[in-house]
Amino acid sequence: MPSIRIDRHRMTIIREGVESIINPIDCVALEAALELREREGGEITVISMGPPQSEEALREALAFGADQSILLTDPAFAGADTLATSHVLARAITRLMPFPDLVLCGKQTIDSDTGHVGPQIAEELDLPQVCGVHEIHLDGDSLMVKRLYDGFLDTLRVSLPALLTVSHEISVPHHIPLGNLEKAFSEGEVIRWGLEHLDLTEEEVGLCGSATRVWKLHKAAAKRGGDIASGSPQRLAEHLIRKLEALSIIDEEEGKG
Amino acid sequence: MKRKERDSSSKDVWIFGDYRNYFQNRVTLQLIAKGRDLARNLGGKVTVLVLGEQVHQYAMEYVAHGADAVMVVDHPNLKDFQVETYTRIVASLVGNYRPDIFLAGATPFGREFFPRVAKRLKTGLSTDCIALEIDPENQLLLQTTPSFGGELLAEVITQNHRPQMATVHPGVFEEQPHDHQAIGRIIYPEVDIARDDRVQLVRSRPEQSKKGHLEDAPVVVVGGRGVSSKEQFQMLSELAELLGGEVGATRPAVLAGLAGEERLLGQTGKKVKPKLLITVGTSGALQYTTGIQGAETIIAINRDAQAPIFKMADLGLVGDARSILTLVLEKLRKRI
Amino acid sequence: MRLEPTMKQMVIRRTVRKFAEARISPVTEEIDRTGVFPMEIIEELGKLHYFGLEIPAEYGGAGLDAVSYAIVVEEISRTCAAFGLCISVHNSVSANPVYQFGNEAQRKTFLVPMAQGQKIGTFCLTEPNAGSDVSSIETVAVRDKDTYVLNGNKIFVTNGGLSGVNLIFASTNTSHKKKEFTVFIVESKREGLEKGPVEELMGMRGNPVCPIALNDCRVPADNRLGAEGQGLKIALSTLAGGRIGIASQALGIAQASLDVSLKYAKERYQFGKPLYEFGAIQNYLANMATRVEGARLLIHRSAYLRDQGLAHTKEAAMAKLYASEVAVEATRIGLQIHGGYGYTKAYPIERYYRDAKACEIYEGTSEVQRMVIARSLESE
Repeated sequence: MPSIRIDRHRMTIIREGVESIINPIDCVALEAALELREREGGEITVISMGPPQSEEALREALAFGADQSILLTDPAFAGADTLATSHVLARAITRLMPFPDLVLCGKQTIDSDTGHVGPQIAEELDLPQVCGVHEIHLDGDSLMVKRLYDGFLDTLRVSLPALLTVSHEISVPHHIPLGNLEKAFSEGEVIRWGLEHLDLTEEEVGLCGSATRVWKLHKAAAKRGGDIASGSPQRLAEHLIRKLEALSIIDEEEGKG
Repeated sequence: MKRKERDSSSKDVWIFGDYRNYFQNRVTLQLIAKGRDLARNLGGKVTVLVLGEQVHQYAMEYVAHGADAVMVVDHPNLKDFQVETYTRIVASLVGNYRPDIFLAGATPFGREFFPRVAKRLKTGLSTDCIALEIDPENQLLLQTTPSFGGELLAEVITQNHRPQMATVHPGVFEEQPHDHQAIGRIIYPEVDIARDDRVQLVRSRPEQSKKGHLEDAPVVVVGGRGVSSKEQFQMLSELAELLGGEVGATRPAVLAGLAGEERLLGQTGKKVKPKLLITVGTSGALQYTTGIQGAETIIAINRDAQAPIFKMADLGLVGDARSILTLVLEKLRKRI
Repeated sequence: MRLEPTMKQMVIRRTVRKFAEARISPVTEEIDRTGVFPMEIIEELGKLHYFGLEIPAEYGGAGLDAVSYAIVVEEISRTCAAFGLCISVHNSVSANPVYQFGNEAQRKTFLVPMAQGQKIGTFCLTEPNAGSDVSSIETVAVRDKDTYVLNGNKIFVTNGGLSGVNLIFASTNTSHKKKEFTVFIVESKREGLEKGPVEELMGMRGNPVCPIALNDCRVPADNRLGAEGQGLKIALSTLAGGRIGIASQALGIAQASLDVSLKYAKERYQFGKPLYEFGAIQNYLANMATRVEGARLLIHRSAYLRDQGLAHTKEAAMAKLYASEVAVEATRIGLQIHGGYGYTKAYPIERYYRDAKACEIYEGTSEVQRMVIARSLESE
């Protein structure tokens, strides 16, 4: 795990010197896009908002098979929460010619684990959304998708244009042939768009355009450091049962309420 | 809602009533309890927002578990939890009633719906909070969430935007007991119920669970060197079965013939990310823990209080596994 | 000279790591136990350009520079030394000479399938009486109109068991006073070429090392690589590149040893604390890490010189010499750190220990490397 440095003044994560990778779930989404392109045709554009070294991940995306890679980068974008991030990404999507039929995202990313950005882009662009999809088929001018949801297998019809977030089950990312990497780095082009190109003001983006702010940031102490209980087997057995109930693994006992 | 709105918002705490799988999914009740705590600090009230068809029964339940009020929107158009429709209605109600805080469970629905609502309201949202407190100085909601895959903890505030929104995973807070003498208001607001038909649920059926697949099991019970006999290992298997999960083993247990290689977890075995992992008689060797560190909740049982496994457990029980599990199994067999 | 890897090289390392962990890691123990390479993985490696790493894209290769190549071999070897050996030997001393010294027809016929992993290559030099002493080889190639007839015995042929294309090093024109050597491309299915049983090795057990016998093997003159008498030049030039590859392979083993030893030292508790807190263990790990870093720098420098088209015979020999000795020491110390557990098959360190030793012997023994370096110093 690369070590993370924290800028105490602005409470943001310093990204220099940390390898910029494509989030694993985005790889899955990209693979799903490749499969869709193979079946139905079309063009795949990968967009990412990040510091300049994110170019690394975007070249990797080109080697992976994307037709176009765009990096949204500007010092003003730094420190953004998902509200501001989704705003920048949504704006960039409106700049694509033609407007995409489908926007795909991973369900959750490693770096902030929120899963917000997809739904928030969908809201800004007024796109219908379905999250956690593991199967996508084009059917006329709508999509038929499947997902596992709360113990149910749902099949849904979504009209285009739409936004989908994908789950890990949708596809297995292929391994990138090394020659593709060589080509992406020697010939490939990563387009860069900043504040001006997206016609945004500083107030709308980055730390200024965020609603949430990190008040305090610290390394998680022990890995989990939960409670440690000791005592009689009866007491410990009770404790375990209560925890199972709290986690909704087992139902509460009848007649308890 | 922005800057000036902060002062004009009420001091109320709203909870989104996610009533699906009501008996297994207690998160709304847990949030009501926490909401009461927060509302007390703010001098406001707790209201639960319920949308759906034929949902009155839940309103009563929520009052019994501590809600001061329940706002009910009951209509056939709201039968499925349809994200775009719910977003529009909820955002409009929040806009009218202006709660200070709005909470929801981090259920699959909550995770995809709440961000959309936050965006529509142009306010901040933090997800998977493990703690929520009111800061005594500025009355802001302090939202503690893990970030960077759990390596860091962030305490987040939503300074100028309202409501302050957060989602919380089931099991973080504890519900307060059912009180059938509790009293609360039921409100039926006026709202436009037009459905957004761009997403249509074509079919929904209960998912067939895959048997015997360790990596997909929601619950995994693991035996290590401390499990000294086949008979004891059998207890772990039974526990796993009663909880709807699978049993796993560490290398020493496999070498001792207690389980097959296909049950091996760790660096040279499988890696699992179940909702719950109960690890019994394992000291916590890194070869093993790399296979389980993705588990949502880890409960460890070990005789040795110094065992490193306790550092990575959410709950540690120091004692004799056999005695503890004998009692646990007795109780569970009666219930399930 | 850059001392830090480029963005491209970091992504390459990461990409190879991903593949190695996903596809090779699950089967390394089995490969070591059974001594058999799974062919599906060879096919996958082929499609991903692992058998044409430095070969230009026009022939189906990846077109990588030497530093990137070194990184690829290191990362594969870190997971499985036997695969690392296969890839290094195929690329450096089999496919590469065909590219460098072959004519266009040979490149089309042999290089293209080799670059795609459809035909695995070998370089057959060693014989029962000729190990370090290359000039003692007894395999002869006699010209007969437009064919050559080859007779001889080659042993310890790396990749032999699964090869499709073999570069045979033979002596020609034996009537002359000074021995002349020539290289021939001989397909495995050519009549007169016989592969012997695969050796039972101490380590690198997945690699099917075997003897190859040539009995009146008739080879068209078109299969001759380069000119008659050019064999020694080809061999020497090839070996320099081979050293970079094989040094990277040794580095991968050393790095793997460091990885597991660090992990073990942090989690093994004795006397109430982790091993990592004992000075003796810290010394071991510090030494290991320093030497691994040193080996990497030597390797990357010789690769860099190669990329610049500069002479690198001495540097490549140094890299091979140092990296192989580092691997042997790192695995020895690593096993010591693991204690009793390290001596069992439950932990991978004993395999790394067995794998490492070969690095000091093949592709030019440590003694030969020292000879090469000394000669180079002499003329400075």
